[in-house]
Amino acid sequence: MSLSDIAVVGVGVTQQARRLERTSLQVSLDAAKLAVADAGLTFADLDGIAARWPGPGGTVFLPGSADWAGMLGVPVRWIGDSYPQGVPALLDAAAAISAGLCHTVLITGGQAGVLGGGRVASYTQPRNEFVEPFGAFTAAHFALVAQRHLRRFPHVRQGAAEIAATIRTIGSANPDAVLYDRGPFTAQTILDSSGVVDPFRLLDLCLASEGGAAIVVTTVERARDLRHRPVRVLGGGMEWIRQQYVDAVRYEQVWSIGADAAARAFGMAGLTPSDVDCAQVYDVNSFEVARQFEALGFCDVGEGTDFAASAGIGLDGKLPTCTDGGLMSFSHIGWGAPTLKIAEAVRQLRGTCGDRQVPGARVALAAGAGSGAQYYNLVLLGTD
Amino acid sequence: MTRWHPADPVAVPGSYGEPGLTEEFWAAAAEHVLVRPVCRACGSSFFPPLIACPHCVAQDWEYRRSAGRGTIYSCAVVHKAPSPEFETPYPLAIVDLDGEGWGLLTTIVDAPSPRIGDQVEVTWREAGDRVLPAFRPVSTR
Repeated sequence: MSLSDIAVVGVGVTQQARRLERTSLQVSLDAAKLAVADAGLTFADLDGIAARWPGPGGTVFLPGSADWAGMLGVPVRWIGDSYPQGVPALLDAAAAISAGLCHTVLITGGQAGVLGGGRVASYTQPRNEFVEPFGAFTAAHFALVAQRHLRRFPHVRQGAAEIAATIRTIGSANPDAVLYDRGPFTAQTILDSSGVVDPFRLLDLCLASEGGAAIVVTTVERARDLRHRPVRVLGGGMEWIRQQYVDAVRYEQVWSIGADAAARAFGMAGLTPSDVDCAQVYDVNSFEVARQFEALGFCDVGEGTDFAASAGIGLDGKLPTCTDGGLMSFSHIGWGAPTLKIAEAVRQLRGTCGDRQVPGARVALAAGAGSGAQYYNLVLLGTD
Repeated sequence: MTRWHPADPVAVPGSYGEPGLTEEFWAAAAEHVLVRPVCRACGSSFFPPLIACPHCVAQDWEYRRSAGRGTIYSCAVVHKAPSPEFETPYPLAIVDLDGEGWGLLTTIVDAPSPRIGDQVEVTWREAGDRVLPAFRPVSTR
């Protein structure tokens, strides 16, 4: 078996909101139930789980850590427990299934009951002696990267605002989005929002919200008997440069992070960027969206915003991007957020997205993390 | 010494990496001396401290004194702080130490809108019971 013999057969996305009266574990379980039901399976059909697991001696890794096999009553043959999220979890599961270690894997995660009072999730602001006392935080690391890019390419500021406006306007039309009906947005709306950390305005940045997301992965062969048209894993790639949000991040090292992974993923799939029908890139901020168009091979360095403007990244553009409203308007649920990208890609390929459906979508890209995080990964998904 | 606001978060020695790696850094900082790990095997400087040199992976390094002169590699003014202890705006920066091959995350003081490429020198600010390195524009007098 190879990657393309593996398919995503179930997706589950819970209600997404600024705050939920739930815990991270509860929303992760809610999403798991939705994904398994969506696949037309039961928990008894699973033999692999990628979710947060307790460590030796029952050590709890928050958020959402649990004895998933015990909770679901399903002894499993494979677990993915290091940092189970989005693309890495999907590719790890696909590799395990391809190798014959297991056949059907649940991937689930999310966050709830952890935000509030202006707090950010703790993992974005490590309690670290060389980070915390200087007032650094997730968006600030990305800002230190963006500032150097902006010095080379000053026009990116306006272009990034246009990108944010497009994605937020898409989200405003999605009734399931946290920021439903808040738009439409223009570039000026973005630029007029309050400053957070230069060069980012508030509306350049993603949400911090709550909810769960899950997918179910199995072989294409098994997928044929299930409810939905299988969505194949066509190719994927991952890159890690350093740990996130601790070391001073270097623009020259990270601006093109993902380029190598993308080249490998497209090579594996036998595709080129022009084959992609919709791009669920990881929109933690507007500059990152432009950066990914460059790293993924849609255009050259410095041209990301020009590419977005000329190709069109709205639902009627050549490359509809973040078609659910993305992390900026749909939801960002911490380490569960990367799975949202896959869920939206799968729904687009199934053709079940309703008003936001990209007509005839056959190839979708989903990605996770970015320059300031110092790691990046992507997967290409497709239908026959 | 540049005074910071009194409710500053405190840097906790040992909260990064292995225990015992950083106490010497903070002890030197308390004396207003900036130090960084230098590999005894390959001579490279690096930061933050790790158990092994990231250039040659030798587990043999020592803290050496920095001249404290640097250049702003990147800088971003923070307008909305991650927690209320920080008085905004403040310039967060990465400063590269001139000729020493290392840099660190820090803050810039005595300059409202520092720019990439500005020449700076180390200064010290009190934060709780700890002394933190910050950088200020090089005085031209």
